[in-house]
Amino acid sequence: MAPPRFWTASSARPLWFGWLPALALWPFCALAGEPVAAPAPAPDAHYWSLQAPRRTPPPAVQQTAWCRNPVDQFVLAELEQAGLSPTPEADRATLLRRVTFDLTGLPPTPAEIANFRLDHSAGAYEKVVDRLLASPRYGERWARHWLDVVRFAESHGFEMNQPRNTAWPYRDYVIRAFNEDLPYDRFVFEQLAGDTVGVDEATGFLVAGPWDQVKSPDEQLTKQQRADELHDMVATAGTAFLGLTVGCARCHDHKFDPLSQRDYYSLQAVFTGVNHGERTWRAADETRRVADLAAVRAELATLDPRLARFEPPARVPAPADTNAVPRRPAVTARRNTDRFAPVTTHRVRFTITASSGGEPGLDELEIFTAGEHPTNAALAGAGAKLTVSGTLPGYAIHQAAHLNDGRYGNEWSWISADAGRGWVQVEFPAPTTIDRVVWSRDRSGGFADRVTTGYRIETATADEQWVTVADAADRLPYRTPAAPGGGYSAAGRGPAAAAELAELLARRARLEQRAAELAVTRKVYSGQFAPPATAHLLYRGDPLQPREAVTPAGPARVTPEFQLPDSASDAERRAGFARWLTDPRNPLPARVIVNRLWHYHFGQGLVGTPSDFGAMGGRPSHPALLDWLATELPAAGWRLNPIQRLLVLSATYRQGGDGRPDAEAKDAGNRLLWRFAPQRLEAEELRDAILATSGKLDLRMGGPGFDVFQPNDNYVRVYSPKETFGPDEWRRMIYQFKPRMQQDGVFGAFDCPDGAQIAPQRSSSITALQALNLLNSGFLLQQAGFFAERLEQEAGAGRPAQIERAFALAFGRHPTAHETAAALELVSQAGLPALCRALFNANEFVFVF
Amino acid sequence: MNSTPLSPAGRALLDRRAFLRHSGMGLGGIALTALLADQGLLAAAPERTPIRPEVRSEAPFAPRPPHFRPRAKRVVMIFCSGACSQLDTWDYKPELIRRHGQPMPGADGLITFQGAQGNLTKSPYEFRPRGRCGKMTSDLLPQLGAQVDQMCFIHSMTARSNTHGPGENQMSTGFTLDGFPSMGSWASYALGSESQNLPAFVAIPDPRGGPQMGPNNWSSGFLPAVFQGTPFNATRPIPNLATPAAIAGATDRAGRDFLRFLNDEHLARHPGDDRLMARVASYELAARMQLAAAEAGDLAGESPATRALYGVDDPNATKAGFARNCLLARRLLERGVRFVQLFNGAYAMGEGVGNWDGHKTLQKQYDTHGQILDQPAAALLRDLAGRGLLEDTLVVWTTEFGRMPTFQKDASGRDHNPKGFTVWLAGAGVKAPFSYGATDEFGYAAATDIATVYDFHATILHLLGLNHQRLTFYHNGTERRLTDVHGEVLTGVLA
Repeated sequence: MAPPRFWTASSARPLWFGWLPALALWPFCALAGEPVAAPAPAPDAHYWSLQAPRRTPPPAVQQTAWCRNPVDQFVLAELEQAGLSPTPEADRATLLRRVTFDLTGLPPTPAEIANFRLDHSAGAYEKVVDRLLASPRYGERWARHWLDVVRFAESHGFEMNQPRNTAWPYRDYVIRAFNEDLPYDRFVFEQLAGDTVGVDEATGFLVAGPWDQVKSPDEQLTKQQRADELHDMVATAGTAFLGLTVGCARCHDHKFDPLSQRDYYSLQAVFTGVNHGERTWRAADETRRVADLAAVRAELATLDPRLARFEPPARVPAPADTNAVPRRPAVTARRNTDRFAPVTTHRVRFTITASSGGEPGLDELEIFTAGEHPTNAALAGAGAKLTVSGTLPGYAIHQAAHLNDGRYGNEWSWISADAGRGWVQVEFPAPTTIDRVVWSRDRSGGFADRVTTGYRIETATADEQWVTVADAADRLPYRTPAAPGGGYSAAGRGPAAAAELAELLARRARLEQRAAELAVTRKVYSGQFAPPATAHLLYRGDPLQPREAVTPAGPARVTPEFQLPDSASDAERRAGFARWLTDPRNPLPARVIVNRLWHYHFGQGLVGTPSDFGAMGGRPSHPALLDWLATELPAAGWRLNPIQRLLVLSATYRQGGDGRPDAEAKDAGNRLLWRFAPQRLEAEELRDAILATSGKLDLRMGGPGFDVFQPNDNYVRVYSPKETFGPDEWRRMIYQFKPRMQQDGVFGAFDCPDGAQIAPQRSSSITALQALNLLNSGFLLQQAGFFAERLEQEAGAGRPAQIERAFALAFGRHPTAHETAAALELVSQAGLPALCRALFNANEFVFVF
Repeated sequence: MNSTPLSPAGRALLDRRAFLRHSGMGLGGIALTALLADQGLLAAAPERTPIRPEVRSEAPFAPRPPHFRPRAKRVVMIFCSGACSQLDTWDYKPELIRRHGQPMPGADGLITFQGAQGNLTKSPYEFRPRGRCGKMTSDLLPQLGAQVDQMCFIHSMTARSNTHGPGENQMSTGFTLDGFPSMGSWASYALGSESQNLPAFVAIPDPRGGPQMGPNNWSSGFLPAVFQGTPFNATRPIPNLATPAAIAGATDRAGRDFLRFLNDEHLARHPGDDRLMARVASYELAARMQLAAAEAGDLAGESPATRALYGVDDPNATKAGFARNCLLARRLLERGVRFVQLFNGAYAMGEGVGNWDGHKTLQKQYDTHGQILDQPAAALLRDLAGRGLLEDTLVVWTTEFGRMPTFQKDASGRDHNPKGFTVWLAGAGVKAPFSYGATDEFGYAAATDIATVYDFHATILHLLGLNHQRLTFYHNGTERRLTDVHGEVLTGVLA
C-alpha cells in the first residue's frame, strides 16, 4: 500500500511542523490521574467535546531520541511531567505477535517471525505494518470492532429471535470498507444513506439492532414497539458517530450532557422513514438476475406435473409390512403430493389428525384433475367452495379463503382453530375426475412450524359416503430424511420410464441449484424506506402521550447547525444528517473515531469511554494528542490507515508490556502510557488463533456465515450448539452466524457481546467456565488433535522436533530446556494431543504482551 | 482490557491513589463513597451515591458485604414462563364468578395482545380456603396452596409490556429491551457467593426447554461475564464440565500439571501480573467446580422420602424432570449458591403447549402444567423450611405478567394482561401469611397498593441487604441500575 501522503519522507514538510494556534483552554480538562473537579456536571455547550478540536504543535520533550513520531512527543511530555519514563522497546518476537494480532486478529506464522528476525533493514517494522494493513485479514479483524459498536447481529432478538438470513452483506460491506480504507466520512455517509449512492447493503447499519417480531392488534403495544425501534436507531447513531448518549434524553432532558428531550426527538425525526426489513439488493446485475431466476423457476414448475407421475401412489390401508415396501416420503413444510387412482367425485375432505406442534397450518390445498393437462380444481376461481373446521382467531393473514386462492406463503395461509387437528372440505361445482392432492404449510419456505403430520384425504361417493384415498400411514415418520431419489419411483414401469425419471431428477437438481444461486443475494436486510412520519416529542417518553411535533435537527448545542423542514424526504433526512456528521466544523465524529482507533490499538482509549464523550464519560488523558489526531484525520482524507500507521509505528506502541513498581505506584491504570498494556485475546481472536495453529483455518471470505447451531424451525427459535464441527465451521469467527442472546458454546464465555446492546468496550473477564470450555470442549479437543497431526506432518516422528514445532506455532518461540524436558515427559506419558491441549490453554497463548 | 465499572471520574481518582492494584474492578464501597463524597465528586446526596463492590479478579465469587444487614442470604426465583394466570391460581374474585358469562364493564372494544375480548369467565378451578389463614386459592395448585401460611402474595403487580419477550426481560432484568444484566447477575456482582466452587448464579431451565427469552433471562448484560448465570439442570449438566471420557484421568492430570508449569514459567517472565495469576486461579476453581458441581447435581444420595416428596420418580416424565430441577435447586442453595432461577415452562412446543400461555384452551393446558409445577415446587418450599433454610433463603414465585378475566373472543383461554397480576414471596424477611395489594373486582387491573416490577426488584434487593439505588454500574453514559430510575421497596411485605 502507498504510504500516507503526510508521512512520506519527501520534501513536503510534515503537517505538524506548521504554525498552529496556542494551546486551547480546556474547561474541565483533567490531567490524567487527577481527580476531576467537576462537582455537579451540568449541561453546558462549553463542554470540552463540543468545542472544535484545536491543533497544537507536539510539545517539547527531554528524551527527544525516544520519539519516533509526534504521537510520542505528546505522550512523553505527560510522562516526563509525572516523573515517569517509558518502558524499553519490546523484543522483536513480542512486537510482531502484538502488531499481528492487533491488525489482523491472528498470530504471526513461524515464517513471518523468522523473516522479521532476519530483516535488519531500517524499515523492517514499517514493512511488517504495511503488509498487515494490506492483508485482507485486517478488514476481518477491524470490522469486528465496528460491528460491536453498532450492535450487529443476525437474528431479530426478543421472544421469537428468528434468524436474519440476509443481514450478512452489511458485515461484508464493513470488512470491505476497512480493507479498502474507505474514507471515514464516506463510511459514515453510506451507512446512513447508502441507498442514495448505490450501496444498498451499507444501510444495514440502520436496522442492525433488535426488532420485536411479535405483532399485535393492540395499538399501545404497536406504538411502543415502533418507539423502541426508533430509539435503537437514534441511540446507536448518537453513540457510534457522535459519542453522545443521546438515548438518555428519551424521557427527559439529559441529566449530564447538553442534550434536551427535544434534541432526542429532533434526531428521531431523521429516522422516522426507516423500517426494519429487507430490500431488494440492487447489485449491478440485478435486473438480469431477477429475469434469470424467474425463468429457472418457470422451468422448474413445468417439471412438477411430470415428476408427479413418479410419486408413489398412496396405499390405503398401508401395507402391513412397511419394511418390505418402501414407504412414501415424510411430509414436509414445503410441499406434499398424494397421488391416487383417478376417482370422480364432487367433494373432497382433508382431515388433519396430528401436527408437529400447535394448531396446524396450510397455505394451499390443490386438487388436480386427472389426464394429460391437469388443472387445480380446488381453486375458488374454478368455482370450488371451501369450508373448514375453524380458523385461529385474530389473524388477518390466516383465513380459510387462503387455502384455495392460488397464493403461497404464510401471509396467505390458514391455521386451524384447534391444536393438532382440523379439516378442510372442498366442493366442486360438478363431479370432477381427480388423481392428485398437493398441499403445504408454506410453499415459499419461510415457515416450517405447525406442519400437518397426520391426515387423511377422502372423496365422497355419489351417495355421500366418504372413501379414504390417501393418508399418512404409509409415509415415513415426520422428519425422516427422504430416501435417495426423493421418494420417486419408476419401479415396474420399464427402462424408458426409469431413464425419464433419472433425467427429470437430474434436471431438477441442476435447476434448483441454479435457482438457489440466483436467489441467494436477492434481498438484503438493510431497512425499508417510507415517507417519514412526523416525529413528536413524547411526554416522559410515552408513545401514548405525544406533544408538539418536531422537525429533523441536530442537537441544539452541537455546532454547526443542522435543520431540515418537515417536508424533507426520508432520504434527504438521512443524507443531510450524514453530511452534518462529517462537516469539518462538527467537533465530535473525528475525535470519536480516532479515539476508537486508539482504544483498539492500546486497549484503552485516550477517552476511556469510546461511545460517551459526555460528562458521564471519561475525560481525555491526552487532550492535545486527541485533538491533534482529530485534525490529522481530515487532512489524511479521512482515511483511517494513516492514523493507525502513526499509532502502531510510535515508540509508545512499541514499549514492553511488563509492569514496573515505580510506575504502577504513580499510574496503576497506565493512563499515561508508560508501558504497553498486555491484553487477553478476545473471543474471535482466540478461536481464529486455535484454528490457525492447528492448521485448519479456512480463509474463505464473505457471503453467508457458517452456523454453529443445530437446525431448528420453532416459532420461538431455539439455538442448540452443535456437538461436532467440520470444515464448514473452520472459517474465521467473524463469519460465524451470530444470533442475539445465544452465544457460541465455547467462546461466548470470553465476553463476546451478543448484539442486544452496543458494546464499544468489551469486558475482559477471567472465569472458570472459560477454563472448562478450553479444557474439555469438543471443539478444542478436535483442534488439539489436528494440531498434533500437523506436528507429525511438519516435524516428523521425532519428539523433540515435534515439541520445537509446537512451541513455534503456538508461542512463536523456541522452548527452553526446561520446557522441552517437561513436554517430553508429558508427550511420552499422555501423547502429543495432550501437549497441544495444554498449549491452547496456556497464558502465553491467550495473552498478548 | 478490563472493563471500567467505576465511572470514569471515580476511576481517575482511584488510579491516582493507586488503590486499585488488583484489576480495576472495584473498591470497597464504603471507602469509595466516603472518598468521593469527601472530594465533592458526586452531585447526588450521599445516600444515593453508588456503592461499588470490590471484585478481585482472582476470586470473583468471594463473599462481599451487603449495604446493610440482610434478611436473605440467597434467593430462589421460580419463574413460570408464558404468563401464569392470576385468576386461575391465587387471585380469588367472587365477582368474577357471579358475573360469569357477562361482558366486562368498560371493556367495550377493548383490544388486548391477540385482539378482541369475549365475556367475563370464571376460573374452571374451584377456590377454597387453605392453611391456617384460610386464604382462598384454586384447586389448580393444591399442594402449593396448602402452604399459603408461608406466603406473602402481591396481588397488585403490574408490568410494562404485554408481550412475552419484553415481559420476561423486564421481570428478569428490569428492562423490556434485550441486553441488560439480570437480577441474579446484579446479586452475584454485589455479593459474590457463599460457595467458591460453584457458580454464584445458576439458571435451571425447564426439562422441556428454555424460557421464551432464553439466555437473556440470565445474561450479565454489560456486567463482566463472570456474573452471567450458568444454565444447567438435572438432566443437562454444565457444558464442558466433565473431562471427556476419551481423556484418561492420568492424562488429564499430567496435562494440567504441565499447563501449570508453563504458566508458572510464563509468570516468572512477567512477574506480578495480576491477570496472569487470576487465570491460573481460574483453572484451580474449574477443577474444584468439576467436583463440586457434579456432587451438587448428583441426586442419588437423597433419601427415598425426599425423592417421594418432590416426585422425582413420578411416571409423568416432565413432572419428574421438574421435580429433579427443584431438588437440584435446594442442593445448590444449601451449598451456598447466591441466586437460583428455576424455570417452569418452555416455549419450544408453541403457545401454551409447554408453558402458561393459555390463549385458546386454558383449562386443558393448565391441567397439564399445574400437575408439573405443584408438587415439586411445594416440596421445595417444604424441604427448605424443614432444613431451616427458609430462615435466610428468599423464595420468589413469579411470571412475566397476568391474564385477562375475560376469555378471548371465540376462544377458551385468556389473553395477556400486564395491568394486574400476582406474584408471591416466602421465607427470609417476608411477612407471611399476608396478601399485599389487590386488583379490581374482576381481577383485571391493580387497584390498591399498586406495585411495579421495579418495586418488586427493589424489595428483593432490599431483603438481600442491598439498596437498589446504590447498586450501579457505569455503562454507556449512565449509572445503570436493576431498577432503572424507578422503584420503591414494598415495606408492607417485610416482616
